[in-house]
Amino acid sequence: MVNIIVLVKQVLQTADLKIDKTSKAVVTQGVPRVVSETDKNALEEAIRIKEKHGGKITAISMGPPEAKEALREALAMGADEAVLLTDPRFEGSDSHAVASVLAAAVTKIIDYDLIICGAYSEDMFAFQVGPRLAEMCNLPQFTYATKINLEGTKIIVERDLENERQIVEGKLPCLVSVVREINEPRLPTLMAIMASSKKPTSIWSADDVRLSESELGYNGSLDELLRSAVSSGERKRIILEGKAKDAVFKLTRALQQEGVLKG
Amino acid sequence: MAQEKRDIWVFSEQPQHAFELLGKGNALSEELGSDLVAFATTSASADEYIRHGADKVILVNHPLLGEFQVDTYTDALSELANEHKPEAILIGATRNGLELAPRLAERLKTGCVTEVTRIELDADKKFLLMDRVTMGGNLVETHISRSKPQIATVPKGLFAQSTLNPSHKGQVIVAEPTIKSPTTKLLEKKSKEIKGVKVSDATIIVSFGRGVRKKEDMIMVEDFAKAVGGAVGCSRPIAEDLRWLPEEQYIGLSGQKVNPKLYLACGISGQIQHITGIRNSKVIVSINNDPKAPIFEFSDYGIVGDLYVILPILTDAVRQLAKN
Repeated sequence: MVNIIVLVKQVLQTADLKIDKTSKAVVTQGVPRVVSETDKNALEEAIRIKEKHGGKITAISMGPPEAKEALREALAMGADEAVLLTDPRFEGSDSHAVASVLAAAVTKIIDYDLIICGAYSEDMFAFQVGPRLAEMCNLPQFTYATKINLEGTKIIVERDLENERQIVEGKLPCLVSVVREINEPRLPTLMAIMASSKKPTSIWSADDVRLSESELGYNGSLDELLRSAVSSGERKRIILEGKAKDAVFKLTRALQQEGVLKG
Repeated sequence: MAQEKRDIWVFSEQPQHAFELLGKGNALSEELGSDLVAFATTSASADEYIRHGADKVILVNHPLLGEFQVDTYTDALSELANEHKPEAILIGATRNGLELAPRLAERLKTGCVTEVTRIELDADKKFLLMDRVTMGGNLVETHISRSKPQIATVPKGLFAQSTLNPSHKGQVIVAEPTIKSPTTKLLEKKSKEIKGVKVSDATIIVSFGRGVRKKEDMIMVEDFAKAVGGAVGCSRPIAEDLRWLPEEQYIGLSGQKVNPKLYLACGISGQIQHITGIRNSKVIVSINNDPKAPIFEFSDYGIVGDLYVILPILTDAVRQLAKN
């Protein structure tokens, strides 16, 4: 029996984000909110572990009230329970402040063996929450997992680094962050989607996890976002016209002039 | 109160990456009038860091630091940082660096900005302005850290290596921080076989996306890459969804960030995700049959046309040039 906590983040579908050329702002209106990709892999892995060893899966998400949708998806995939951490006072949290809330929440759950999360979130790509949470909870961390095997309280994780693959051993309880390669997340069946509404979902505020004002949101952050601007890339934007042969000739000549092609 | 030293520290387990951090660190420490300090685990690398511009090297020669491991390196660096109170720590954003930095930052109760795209001192030289790209590449955020040390992880290739100066002198400080036994044990490691040139090291990259319709057609791109002497890269769906190429060859915000002299995008629509990975290329060329493809907005040269027609002609043309 393994009690697993899976961290689930709801993000805007980043591929659908666009910059409005006149207002120079990112257009978020009408962009769907989805479960961050690697978090789906984390859920899938938790479900596979449960199928093999038995146990319970609790999906936790911190976010606005709409993040309940992400948890519903987690429940439909196979999580047993869900906890939504939502409070207006959480707004403006950096990775440290997010990890503080998650740490308080998992401490409240107490009885867990394993925390699984995505190695990064699709919108921020900060890679921070997992290691920060592990440090706060004094847990060993296994990052970039491509395989997880449990034998009793022993855990063996295969990890993917730039130039090598590692097999690492440790003990439960611990935190594992996964990459997309680890598995193919299942699509919930219609039955499972319908059944998911009957599964328990708790909603916790800052008070429920006993955090004080100074630990929350902007006040509780160590990092400060000074400003953000839409990203721009200035390029020549020369379209080489003509028949294929002519266009290719123009291209090779231009690249030689740029000094990036020999000949 | 004693005056703050405001030293800039650098760490990467990859020496070539550490030299790049020394390059940037040198500029920052000069502006601050402070020391540039590297962290080393062998005296040979300590000497090398000094030749690459470090004013000081903190050398910790400890058996538990032989192989990078997040527990032991967090123990060592956190104790040293608490003792010496550096202004900032620049960490190479390898996967090791990316799991170390937030854990170290949390132990030191300080901020951390990962995968920066720019680091500069503010006008009053009070803090570091650290930029990073978010929201699928659409936003550039500027962060500061409210506490010290300010920690940033720096992708490979962002900064030029410091110049090697064999006569540069520096001080080696031998330290013995307390390092606990790690909570995890490395059982096995296997090097990855990477065919040809790695995209992160390549000066020319030929990259393809969904415009290549079948896996077998990749040969067309590979032939061209060979003719032009470049590495083969791809967009995210090719590696993550179709898995035609390993993740090491996928270029984009969440994959490799590259800075070649010449980047050729074949049949890549140019989602901002991808653009973010190639923005530091010198010249960008794209071939796409859709004249409205966003990639053309981010290219220096574009050809609107069928990849399956253009690429073979281009391959021939490049081969001819090489012959002459």
